[in-house]
Amino acid sequence: MQPEDRNDELDFFYKQYTRRDVVKGAVVAGAGVSLASLLAACGSSGTTSNSSIAPSASPKQGGSLRVGVVGGSAKENLDGQIATTEPEIANCFQLYDALLGWDANYHLKNLLAEEVTPNADATVWTVKLRQGVVFHNGQTMTADDVIYSYNRIIDPKNPKMGATQLAALKSSGMKKLDDYTVQFTLTSPNSVFDEAMAVYGNTIVPQDFNPKNPIGTGPFKLKSFSPGQQIAYTANTDYWGEGPHVDDLTIIEYSDPTARVNAFLGGQVDAITNLPSSQIKVVQGAGRLVLDAHTGAWQPFTMRIDQKPFNDPKVRQAFRLVVDRKAMIDQAYAGYGWVGNDMYAPFDPGTPKLPQREQDLEQAKSLLKSAGYDNDLTVTLTTSDAVGGSAVSAAQVFAQQAKGAGVTVNVNKVDSSIFYGDQYLSWTFAQDFWYTRNYLAQANQGTMPTAPYNETHWKDAQWLSLVQQAFKTGDKAKRDDLVGQAQTIEYNTGGLLVWAFNDQIDGYANNVRGAVPDKGGVPLSSFHFNQFFFI
Amino acid sequence: MPPLLKLILRRLGLGVLTLFLVSLVVFGATQALPGDPAKAILGKQSADKAMYQALRRQLNLDRPVYVQYESWLKGVVTGHMGTSLASGTTVTSLIGQKVANSFALVLLAALISIPISLLIGSLSALWRDSVFDLTASVGSLALAALPEFVIAMLLILLFATAVTHVLPAVSRIPPGSTPWAQWDMLILPVLTLVLAVAPYISRILRASMIEVLESDYVQMARLKGMPERTVLQRHALPNAIIPAIQVSALQLAWLAGGVVVVEYVFNYPGIGSAFIDAVNNRDLPVVQAIALLIAAVYVCANLLADILTILVSPRLRTGLR
Repeated sequence: MQPEDRNDELDFFYKQYTRRDVVKGAVVAGAGVSLASLLAACGSSGTTSNSSIAPSASPKQGGSLRVGVVGGSAKENLDGQIATTEPEIANCFQLYDALLGWDANYHLKNLLAEEVTPNADATVWTVKLRQGVVFHNGQTMTADDVIYSYNRIIDPKNPKMGATQLAALKSSGMKKLDDYTVQFTLTSPNSVFDEAMAVYGNTIVPQDFNPKNPIGTGPFKLKSFSPGQQIAYTANTDYWGEGPHVDDLTIIEYSDPTARVNAFLGGQVDAITNLPSSQIKVVQGAGRLVLDAHTGAWQPFTMRIDQKPFNDPKVRQAFRLVVDRKAMIDQAYAGYGWVGNDMYAPFDPGTPKLPQREQDLEQAKSLLKSAGYDNDLTVTLTTSDAVGGSAVSAAQVFAQQAKGAGVTVNVNKVDSSIFYGDQYLSWTFAQDFWYTRNYLAQANQGTMPTAPYNETHWKDAQWLSLVQQAFKTGDKAKRDDLVGQAQTIEYNTGGLLVWAFNDQIDGYANNVRGAVPDKGGVPLSSFHFNQFFFI
Repeated sequence: MPPLLKLILRRLGLGVLTLFLVSLVVFGATQALPGDPAKAILGKQSADKAMYQALRRQLNLDRPVYVQYESWLKGVVTGHMGTSLASGTTVTSLIGQKVANSFALVLLAALISIPISLLIGSLSALWRDSVFDLTASVGSLALAALPEFVIAMLLILLFATAVTHVLPAVSRIPPGSTPWAQWDMLILPVLTLVLAVAPYISRILRASMIEVLESDYVQMARLKGMPERTVLQRHALPNAIIPAIQVSALQLAWLAGGVVVVEYVFNYPGIGSAFIDAVNNRDLPVVQAIALLIAAVYVCANLLADILTILVSPRLRTGLR
């Protein structure tokens, strides 16, 4: 092409685009951006506020229930005793039962055990089993199976999830009194041993249990399993308990929350767990129902009391006064949570009613000053998405609020494998997540010297003697009093900043019933799908 | 031996060497990551030392690193891809179906996008500066600028959840089923991929076509009185298509690399999300298997592109000797 031609080409090119064309182009671009929001708005036409359920409809038999859960990893297995991820936990409640369980109001209820009786000093627990319970292969459940299951859990060569809470139970301490009575003798007293029996992972399995072909006493039998994708079940028509009312159940895993919500909106699943709070209006606008449960699940800030600056209790107190708890709930949980008061067992009858901590920046500043920090305290807050949905947001809100007390907080967000890696439990100032527990069970896991997850390295002689005494006390009123005293010590000088308890939000289609808000924090009524039915 | 065959064999040999190097790099990188498969599987519970050590023993992680690599390599050359550390099943049973699913997606996306892009690219070049060309230009630039997940979300809103409900919102192929049996679930993901890939191929073709159409030999052909269609098919297109072939090969390899974002948005069980999951689980056998698969696709796609280029240009064909 000749140079002259090229000039003509350019002129021609420029002539094409006058100012009017540029403006037109900008309008088109702007229209494109608003198109997306318009499309979204098209879908959510008005909101129907309905977060309660109508259990008055009588159960209809039959149907195929499909549930979407958070998952997608190939590392899953169907052995209930090592259930850690959400699909594994859901599976626990379908294939198996434990001896005891928790009801929706976080009270103990009998499952495979009919009667549990401790002796005077809580060292011997006698369990009478429910009779006539059969496994999925038709075998009857007896005391031998229970003893086998508990031995499997505490096996020192291959301990399962529940082993640490059962530390006082040794193989020699399990005795079969008759076909339907088991006696557990503990090496040290544990007045809340029944709570350990109620952990969902302490499942009862037959003596010839094979994890590759899992069998239990639960409401559903396994049909097929594809790790990371789905678990399919059929109803166990010989189930000893309620239901199941549906014929089939499929638990489908989604690694992406958007895909999970889309599947729900598109009608490809009947219920989903962990509905993001931003999608609540969208889901309700599409005629679906939302299950909002006030739970005792918490995501504390953890301060190591054996490291600077938190080795000074004044600093810990100051940090607890920095937080505007209501504002943090609004920002991190979109309002779906309730205020915590630095005590972590909200449903424990022994939890005392102490004055609610509010944000008090002046007091915080003066405490810090008396500890030697004059607007010059800098700390690093280590957090991760692995802690759970809104933990990182809460960390950022904390950093904001701390400025008001003259504290500089550097939020260090790390990858999940690093956060729960070698340095987990060594972070000076970090976060963590916990589900609902009562006080002593939680202490066992988090604050006792033998606890596996003592993030704060909590150590207090007076507190320890109170707690040890509580473990020995069978009398409920006396135990509650001891628990109250122990809680008060942690309220005053503990290393945990319990600012809130989060709601568990799930969604279900409006032709599904049987979902009740569960305080325990496990999604969709603690995965009690045997209670779900179609209308 | 014909020179083309010699070339193919030599390239395949280099390809095998490439795969071996890839496996070494992947092995090294996975070892360098913090944590190990046992920690990844247990998560927070890896703080329970007894459980952690027991799992490590179960997964044979207490053997030295080079022994682990060696035993894996021995397995691979005999055709056994190993056992997944995370799930305990064989690698082939874990990802076999997913490979088929991804293959179906890539095949459909390529079969649809390449002819359409070639058509749009050539017509844009032919009817340069017309309304068609301008629309195609603006359209392809807009699509190229949008991330795939935005395209995916817009399509889902348009066809599945908000505006109309004609297509499934999520493309979860149930385990045991084939993608072909659920063909309605393939529509939106394939459409997303086509819209993601087509802009590049059509733009490249348009640019090289414009240049070719300005060339002397095309002018000569036109002056000779040849019909426009013959000019395009026999003279312009074979020359203009070479860059497009190369770009197509790159896009194909990109598609096969597991379009993770599309898999996440549609919950499509493909190798992209399996790859990410395997890395999170430090599941070395699965990571190696998928990495080698993707590397093999790259090698083959590039080889195919080079062969096609040679076949299309007589100059290169004779230059082979």
